[in-house]
Amino acid sequence: MKKITILFLGLILSFSAFSQTVGDTVIANNPAKLKVKVLYFHITNRCNTCMSIEINVRKTIFDNFKTQLDNGDIDLYIVNCELPANKVLAEKYNAYGATFAITTYKKGKEFKTKDMSNWAFKKAAKQDVFISELKDKINELIK
Amino acid sequence: MTSMKQLKSKFLIIAAVIIFSSCNSGSKTTDVSQNDTLKNTTKDISVVTPNQQDSITNANELKTKESTVKTELSKIQIYNFHVTNRCPSCIAIEEATTKTLNTYFSKEMKEGRIKRQILNVDDDANKTISEKYEAFGSGLFVTQILKGKETTTDLTGDGFKFARNKEDKFIEILKTTITNYLK
Repeated sequence: MKKITILFLGLILSFSAFSQTVGDTVIANNPAKLKVKVLYFHITNRCNTCMSIEINVRKTIFDNFKTQLDNGDIDLYIVNCELPANKVLAEKYNAYGATFAITTYKKGKEFKTKDMSNWAFKKAAKQDVFISELKDKINELIK
Repeated sequence: MTSMKQLKSKFLIIAAVIIFSSCNSGSKTTDVSQNDTLKNTTKDISVVTPNQQDSITNANELKTKESTVKTELSKIQIYNFHVTNRCPSCIAIEEATTKTLNTYFSKEMKEGRIKRQILNVDDDANKTISEKYEAFGSGLFVTQILKGKETTTDLTGDGFKFARNKEDKFIEILKTTITNYLK
């Protein structure tokens, strides 16, 4: 019985770790308060650059905007645009492949979307620059 | 009396000669002066004409230069950068670029107005050009070269966004970019 419990817990832990790194991430805590939605779409078979962008985006948000993420000022979406479950969202943002976009909200309504895919691919290899510039951009939009 | 008559006639002859000669000399002077004037005029014209011709030539040269400048055709350089281990999107970008060029710009490719290079950024030989475009992974750049000036559009993001799953959209974006640069 003890062995089964340990195995079960192990499975849960490994599944959660797997889902955090490979699966979709959707953090949306308070739609009424939302100011900035950060979206990164990717396909199933990914290259290093695409992976780097995701790592950089996660690092930027979790290291600099954890409070805003928790209180609902910022939403984070990292999703596979090729999954049927994400089709509607992907089409809304014209995301048929790796796409990085930031959408601003005013009074709970979507205001403006800025496609930053070209920027993300250009800066992906320079993590410091990527994080610094994205941090500045989000700070500018969240005001 | 005879001597007086002779003197009179001599005087008349001399007077006639003097009058005649003075008349001739006057006409000569006029003619010369007229000729000089004409000559001068001609000279002036002849002097002016070459200048005018020169100025016309210069104007023509300028016009030719201007028209040369006006009709100077832009050239386009397309770079497909990739790493050694390529993902499906990267390959799709290259394939869609090839399709766009073959379908819409084969003439410009043959003429040399559009040149395209597929470069591996992991290859040391491509280091300089990769750094110039800040291409550290996959990348698609369209550069217009006009009058020695380079203008570049980075289509990497659009490539990754559309080339694999929405090829038509990507081809349209690339075609529009190239067409605008060819104008």
